[in-house]
Amino acid sequence: MSAPNSSERKACWDSRDLLWKCLDDNGDKAESCLKFQGEFESNCPAQWVKYFSKRRDYLQYKAKMETEGFKPAEGPKQPS
Amino acid sequence: MLGLRCIVGDVVCGGLLRRTCLRPPPLPQLTQRCFLSKGGSGSSARLKLRTRLLVSLLFGGSLLAGCRFVYLEKQQRQRQIRLDQLRKVSLGQGTFSLLDQTGRRRTKRDFLGRWVLLYFGFTHCPDICPEELDKLSSAVSALDQDPLLPPVQPLFITVDPQRDDVPALARYVQDFHPRLLALTGTPEEVQHAGRDYRVYASAGPKDDDGDYIVDHTVLIYLVSPDGLFLDYYNRSKSEEKIVESVKNHIRNHKGLDQ
Repeated sequence: MSAPNSSERKACWDSRDLLWKCLDDNGDKAESCLKFQGEFESNCPAQWVKYFSKRRDYLQYKAKMETEGFKPAEGPKQPS
Repeated sequence: MLGLRCIVGDVVCGGLLRRTCLRPPPLPQLTQRCFLSKGGSGSSARLKLRTRLLVSLLFGGSLLAGCRFVYLEKQQRQRQIRLDQLRKVSLGQGTFSLLDQTGRRRTKRDFLGRWVLLYFGFTHCPDICPEELDKLSSAVSALDQDPLLPPVQPLFITVDPQRDDVPALARYVQDFHPRLLALTGTPEEVQHAGRDYRVYASAGPKDDDGDYIVDHTVLIYLVSPDGLFLDYYNRSKSEEKIVESVKNHIRNHKGLDQ
C-alpha cells in the first residue's frame, strides 16, 4: 500500500478539521457529527483515523493543562 | 611626509575603528590639524606640534592595534571552543551509505562541502513529517533567494525502510523542494545512519491492513560543509527562525576555515 500523496493528505486533513470543528461546536457529542466522521474515515487511512483521534485527545488535554493548570488527584483523606 | 603619515594613519585607524572597541577622541581633530600644518614652515611651535602629533599617533595606533589583536584572539578562541564542543557532541560523525529516490548510492562523503538540512521521517507519516518537510522546503527556498548564500541541500532519511523503498521515495519527494533528496536502504543501513544522529524510531502496532505508524525523533539537523552537526530545529521553530539561524551559521562559518 503506497503512502497518501499531497492531495490525499490534504483531503484527509481537511475532513479531519471539519470533524474537529463539528465536535468543538457540539460539545464533543459524536452522534452530532456522524456525517463528518464518515467523511473523515473515508478520506484518511484507518491508521491515521486512530492516530488523529488520539491526537485530538492529547491536544484537548494539553489545552486543558494550559488553561486550567494541573490539579493533582486528591490523596487519602486520612494520613495512614 | 607628515601629510602622508596622517593619511596612512587615517586609513589604518579608519579600518580599525570599524571593528574595535576603542574610539580615541583626538583622531578627527588630528586629521584636520594635519591638513592645516601641511606645507608649513619649521618653527619651534610647529615642531612641537609635530612631535606631539607623532607621539599621539604612535600611541593611539599601538593602542588600537593591541585592541584589535585582543579582539581577534578572543574571536578565534570562541570559534575554537565552539568547534571543540561540537566535536564532543560527536553527532553525525559517522558515515552513511544509502540509496536516493533515483536509486543512486549516496554516502555522507558526497555531501561534504555542502550545507545540509536533514530530517528523518517516513512517507506514511500522518501530519508531522509532511509539515516539517514543508517547513524545511520553504526555508531552503527562502535561503535560495539570497544570491550571496551557497545552496543548502535538503535531505530526508527514512526511518521506515520496510515500506519506503526507492519508488515510494520518488513519489514522496514530488510534494516538496525540487532539490530534496530522499534516502533509504536496508534496515541496518538506515538504522546506522539514524544512530549517528541519535535518532529514535519505533514502529507501532500493525493494523488489519498492515499499516502502522512510526514514532520517531522530530528534529531538523543543520550539517556544515565539513560534515559537522551544527544545530537542530524542533517543531516549535518557525521557518523564519530556521532561515535566520542557518544564515548566521553560514556567515560565521567563513571564520572557521581561517
